[in-house]
Amino acid sequence: MDNIENLKAELKKLNSEAAKVRDLPPEKRADFGRELNAKKQAIIAAICEAEKAALDTEAEPIDVTAWCGVNEPMPEFYPAELGSKHPLMTELDRVIDIYQMMGFDVVESRQLDDEYHMFDSLNFAKEHPARDGYDTFRTEEGLIPPAHTSTMQHRVLKQFKDNLAAGKPIAAVMPGRVFRNEDVDATHEHTFYQCEGVYVSEDCTMGDMLGILREFFEKYYEQKLNIRTQPGYFPFTEPSLEFMIEKPKSLGGKKGDFLEMLGCGMIHPNVLKMAGIDPTRYHGFAWGGGIDRLVMLRYGLNDIRYFESGNLNFLREF
Amino acid sequence: MKISLNWLKQYIDIKIPDEELIRLIGSRLVEVEGVIDETHKYDNIYVVRVEKAEKIPDTHLTLCQINNGGPELVQVVCGAPNVREGMLAVWLAPGAIVPASAHEDAPFVIGKRKMLDKYESSGMLAGADELDFDDKHEKIAEIDPEIAKPGDLLADIFNLNDLILEIENKSLTHRPDCFGIIGFAREVAGILGQEFKDPEFLFEERVFERGFLKYAENGLKSRDCNLTISIPDTTICPRYTAAVIRVAEATEKSKYLSKMQILIAKSGTFTHSKIVDVTNYLMYLTGQPLHAFDYDKFASVSGRENPEIVVRLAREGEKLTLLDDTEVTLNASDIVIASGDTPVALAGAMGGKSTMIDENTKNVLLESATFSLYNLRKTQMAHGIFSEAITRFTKGLSAGGTFNVLAEAVKEIGGKPLEVRDYYPSPIRPSVVKITTDEINSLLGTKYSTDLIIKTLQNVGFSIKVKGNALEIIPSYWRTDIHIKEDIIEEVGRLLGYDNIEPTLPLHGTANKNQMFELKRGLRNLLSKYGASEVLTYSFISERLLKKVGQAPSNSYKIVNSISPELQYVRQSIIPNLLEKTFLNEKLPVNQFAIYEMNKVYQKEWGLNQENVPEEKTNLAFIIADRKYNNKTAFYQAKKYVAAIFSKYNINATFVPLKESTPESKPYEKKRSAAIYIGEEYLGVVGEFKNSVKSEFKLADYLAGFEINLDLLMKHLSHSRKINYNKTRSEDLTVTSEKTYAEVLAQVEKDYPDTEISPVSVYQADNQPTKNYTFHIVYKS
Repeated sequence: MDNIENLKAELKKLNSEAAKVRDLPPEKRADFGRELNAKKQAIIAAICEAEKAALDTEAEPIDVTAWCGVNEPMPEFYPAELGSKHPLMTELDRVIDIYQMMGFDVVESRQLDDEYHMFDSLNFAKEHPARDGYDTFRTEEGLIPPAHTSTMQHRVLKQFKDNLAAGKPIAAVMPGRVFRNEDVDATHEHTFYQCEGVYVSEDCTMGDMLGILREFFEKYYEQKLNIRTQPGYFPFTEPSLEFMIEKPKSLGGKKGDFLEMLGCGMIHPNVLKMAGIDPTRYHGFAWGGGIDRLVMLRYGLNDIRYFESGNLNFLREF
Repeated sequence: MKISLNWLKQYIDIKIPDEELIRLIGSRLVEVEGVIDETHKYDNIYVVRVEKAEKIPDTHLTLCQINNGGPELVQVVCGAPNVREGMLAVWLAPGAIVPASAHEDAPFVIGKRKMLDKYESSGMLAGADELDFDDKHEKIAEIDPEIAKPGDLLADIFNLNDLILEIENKSLTHRPDCFGIIGFAREVAGILGQEFKDPEFLFEERVFERGFLKYAENGLKSRDCNLTISIPDTTICPRYTAAVIRVAEATEKSKYLSKMQILIAKSGTFTHSKIVDVTNYLMYLTGQPLHAFDYDKFASVSGRENPEIVVRLAREGEKLTLLDDTEVTLNASDIVIASGDTPVALAGAMGGKSTMIDENTKNVLLESATFSLYNLRKTQMAHGIFSEAITRFTKGLSAGGTFNVLAEAVKEIGGKPLEVRDYYPSPIRPSVVKITTDEINSLLGTKYSTDLIIKTLQNVGFSIKVKGNALEIIPSYWRTDIHIKEDIIEEVGRLLGYDNIEPTLPLHGTANKNQMFELKRGLRNLLSKYGASEVLTYSFISERLLKKVGQAPSNSYKIVNSISPELQYVRQSIIPNLLEKTFLNEKLPVNQFAIYEMNKVYQKEWGLNQENVPEEKTNLAFIIADRKYNNKTAFYQAKKYVAAIFSKYNINATFVPLKESTPESKPYEKKRSAAIYIGEEYLGVVGEFKNSVKSEFKLADYLAGFEINLDLLMKHLSHSRKINYNKTRSEDLTVTSEKTYAEVLAQVEKDYPDTEISPVSVYQADNQPTKNYTFHIVYKS
């Protein structure tokens, strides 16, 4: 406490010195003012720190090995009805369950990765404009908070490569959080979730890809669905497609109301090659799509911003 | 990009309804973002002849009697300077919507009105701007009497009842050839299974000749000028073709409303001058941008006798004033067109002020070239230029077409060509792809016949030789994107329709569960059952927030292009976000709540893993709060929650007074927090927060939380249960001591082996140093 008083006294003294500026020749006034102000700022910061420290010393020690406070009842849990699970997370669990039952291993995607996994290993030519299309964040070190879960493709292809020698396909999904440098509004978030998938074998076809994706969406929405595709472009798949489903009637859809659910395609031979897989013998397909959109459609939500809001009035509905 | 269906139909015969056509384009070529319906935009708009035009005294107005093809003349007051007897004009009849306002919320509808209190005026005579073909309001539009007569519908004369497709450019990133009507039409033909007839001007044999080439055919001999082209590094400019044309009136606009002017307006650019209109028209038609310089200005800039076109990289810091009067400071990656050594244009992006065409221009230098898309991409970003031309160049335009398009431009402008030069030292050679029918079908999962595949590819301009089992496929020069078998497979699959591929399901058993997701699911079930709510918060936080909880920003990975200072650092732990969300929820207000999040965290001090990317950890963070006064110690409630986790997963964890000063433990008050260990391994921290932290976040007093590492928890968890079925004998025991609970418990455990011991209460009388610890003891046998 004395310390704070001393600092305050010092500050007062400095304030009174401010008047001296009038006695100085004009050319020296600016320097004088600057120095004085710097000193004042330092003291104000020190007072602030000292006040915080003083506040913290007021805390009474407790016995942290005990299970209740002295003369207090044993603590209790809050009632179950206050509890809730985040809809994105429970739905992500459903997504994982469906793929796992279909035979896909599950590997969570990283949240901080490098240029190699995000772009190079996915057949993005150096400095290719397609790299700009992802609105990527970068750290001072050049690391990348991934803009798509495809950042996991190379890793997962390598990780499960031995499956192929054993006569089994590589089949894995990689859900995770991704980041894009874009403005937030009701339908855009800079932070969202995606789920990636890869499948590699000797004889898989684009028909298999369409079949697996349709199967997934029909299981997820628990009904038969009409699907449609349109050509797309990704450097890491060839051919590349956008996959769409007709919005189910039960979710307010009308006939011909198709929604883009994900991007997909046959894995580019260069991507397989880089993962040490012979593209003349094996081929595969890959896909990736947003989870947030999937969930918003299922629950009829119209504002993506609530997911990361931490607002209990929203979250306790789930 | 905008595609006019009417323009498209000039190049291909389409027999299916527009709706079906648009669906097919969407499913087999490109994403159609929207369709602008202009089928009624020009209703009630007619060609008329001005039969009488009398100036109204003391005004700028003219009283006109117009012939609209009907039996009687109609009176219209017109304010335009160019209205005159005998001209064909465009009349908006009463009830017509002014086309330029058609897209507005309240389109302007023309009616009958009285001007100057006495002159009845029925409808109006329209300018090209009102018709949405120009952005300058100068005069009324005039119609060529060769093509129309009074009473004709304007829409019929110019084929205006149209649908305009709005194309998502991103879905054509790799297809520069589709950024022109011809290329687009060729693809549509392919989709419809029709042969496409390319306009002849796209095929001229001299395209593949080497090096300098003087175009000396049809009497177009080199005469007054002596132009050279010099490109030190052809990777930045593989081909540069230039022509010098003598023109009569360079800035002249065409007298009559022209089809060309209308087509470019529909594509997104208003009319400018005849020369510029031609360059824009050919860009929209072929995808090849052109640029026009004033040749004499170009020649005089360098001060040399013989002008030299130099294409080179800019020197860092070099200055150039562009057409729009902005002065740009160039970067070393920008490509410039220079006259001698003086830059006169930012290649592919925008021309320069010093060589701009004006009304005194006598000779025009027309450029048709291709540039490195990588450099232009940087130019685009650095200078913020997003013109139609640079959009096309940055898709990787083929060098094959520059000459032919330039020749077509010369023809359209109709001036006298003085000289044409083509610098193309290494002509592109198409990549020939060998593939079998089986390779195509086995990747797509289809059974297409060889004949069908050949026909489909030929329709869009591929040349095909059958060599035994294999097809040798030679792409046309505009297909810069065809290199490997998969590129051909894409063509076949796409043109014949991915939607025609039968979905199949390769089945194989279920896979292993992911243990971390299983653990998170278990924790979610447990915590939610006990009234806690799961939240998700951002992975990026502000420097301010880091400092509030005492974490060093230098230990966080810093985002260099963050959206805002609020999202500049990768978080080191989750608790700071939860403290913020606690404030939000206390303010809502929610009285009692517990929130938790399971997510990944990164700290620089953890270094990199074997893959050379940052070590990552998955943490669970939890906060419990009660904004109404609560005189209990929050610590114990938080501890109860974390202990419930250990109990569920059979973890033998110990709680010891917090001494650690790790980044995640920084906000905790050491006197009221515990470090949690599994054996010797540090799992995390549970405790109350420092008073200063609570005050910084403006939080109610009753507050505690924990943050534990789930990777470590997962290593130690087990699902086994040791169940005591025999809970018959039990008793309560009270011990009076000055020691801590843990020390007393250790003694009781020693004294009562083979029992289950649980805490009941801690009592301390006023002014007594000792506490009474009461335990409940259940015997196992």
